[in-house]
Amino acid sequence: MSSHGSLFDIMGPIMIGPSSSHTAGAVRLGLLARNVANVPIRQVTFTLYNSFAKTYQGHGTDRGLLAGILGIGVDDESIRDVFERVKETPLEYSFIPNEAPNHYPPNTVRFDMILENGNPLLVIGHSIGGGKVYISKINEYNVHLRGEYPTLVMFYQDQPGMIWKVTQIIAEYNINIASLNCTRKEKGNEAFMAICLDSLLPKPAVEAIRNIPCVYSVCNVDKIPS
Amino acid sequence: MIQFTQFRDLLAYCQQEPCSVGEAALRYEESLGDRSREEILAGARGLLEQMRSTIESGLFCEDKSLSGLSGGFSKKVMDFQNSPQAFMSPLEHRMIAYALATLEENSRMRKIVACPTAGGSGVVPGVLVALWQEKDLPMERLEKALLAAGLVGEIVSHRMYLSGAAAGCQAEVGVATGMAAAAIVEAVGGTPEQTLNATAIALKNTIGLVCDPVAGLVEVPCVKRNGIAGIHASAAATMALADIVSFVPLDEVVDAMVQVGQMMSPKLKESAEGGLAKTDTAVAFTEQLRQKQQNPPCRD
Ligand code: SF4
Repeated sequence: MSSHGSLFDIMGPIMIGPSSSHTAGAVRLGLLARNVANVPIRQVTFTLYNSFAKTYQGHGTDRGLLAGILGIGVDDESIRDVFERVKETPLEYSFIPNEAPNHYPPNTVRFDMILENGNPLLVIGHSIGGGKVYISKINEYNVHLRGEYPTLVMFYQDQPGMIWKVTQIIAEYNINIASLNCTRKEKGNEAFMAICLDSLLPKPAVEAIRNIPCVYSVCNVDKIPS
Repeated sequence: MIQFTQFRDLLAYCQQEPCSVGEAALRYEESLGDRSREEILAGARGLLEQMRSTIESGLFCEDKSLSGLSGGFSKKVMDFQNSPQAFMSPLEHRMIAYALATLEENSRMRKIVACPTAGGSGVVPGVLVALWQEKDLPMERLEKALLAAGLVGEIVSHRMYLSGAAAGCQAEVGVATGMAAAAIVEAVGGTPEQTLNATAIALKNTIGLVCDPVAGLVEVPCVKRNGIAGIHASAAATMALADIVSFVPLDEVVDAMVQVGQMMSPKLKESAEGGLAKTDTAVAFTEQLRQKQQNPPCRD
């Protein structure tokens, strides 16, 4: 459930039908997964769960997910013809409806991607109504990412001073932090930090953060249009 | 920041200022800090224009949806207006036809405004665009009416996810009907009490509405349900404007909706496993469709 959000989230988005959670939500999940990848995607397998698995063709969930991966927005009429559009790109894709019982929320998709550089990337995301979405997993890490702000997501070994080092770098680039959230499994173990920013971090800043000792992984995820 | 956690906070604010629900909605959005007052009104106008343009392109279009289940209904209602058997007013015909036109465009995978979702996207545009054309209301009134509808949806969304999968159709077309009832009262200049009463009266009559779409598509019963909902909202708004008060206050009505949503079987929450979706006709149609779509699109 949301609280105190913009009225334009309730009346909106302007979108291609037929379903805000199954079509627009699917597009936005595709866009968000694309932003997590941040480099061209060579191959993607979409595994669909629960209500996504049951109605994905009739609701254009398949078209929506693919459109999002290609960077096509929720209000772009070419979503309808995306199976034609994708032929002009080198992207390989497949859909697997998985109707086995699971603990995921109603509208869930798992993206198994191979990126241009050959690296695999796993993203699991959920569509929660009205076109709103969030991502709950990136590779083996649990996250909560909604795509409302440009966000720096990082995984590192828990240790004193990490927040200071990171925010120091962000400050050097004069970028404002909207919110900062960190969690860890246990003291001294692996920790996760998500920093929502007013604008996307430039590449050199991301590199500098990646080079901090004991940082395992950094994703610089741009926001998706609301 | 202005915060309305419950409808009673909103009502207290409107009485104290005093201001209408639409004005309170405008100030709420302004207090989020992302847009100025002028930008918010312009944003609302932009949505109204998109709603009108969706209606215009759908109204006389006879193309069928991808599944073939819907298409051409709005034209039938517009044509029927001229029949000697027509008994409703031109405004009411438009409300019905406009909502149908929007949902038909939605099933054709064309552009709509989710309000609050795509499944309920015909109701608010149906009433507001019809009022806009038939009643010659000032633009700012309509913009504020739309914002009032948005605020109603926003406050409900604190307590329930607005999706058929989460709480049945009461959370989609149901909430849209409550939003539309508020929009009508705001548009014709009712008081904040009347606005929230209209929503309460409308929602009490959509409570428990299940989501049982044939073949899981947003078409049957959704398209025609949107066509009905504008009239439903109008009746609620008329009662409220006549100073009929909802016995159960709006916040409690929403609590009841949440509770009913929790009690509702998952088979009646968009999974197409019960209700209309399991009728003989629906099952046979679903099977046909499955055969047509047998091979999921795939390329490797
Ligand atoms: S019946 Fe279900 S799919 Fe149809 S509008 Fe209502 S909630 Fe949406």
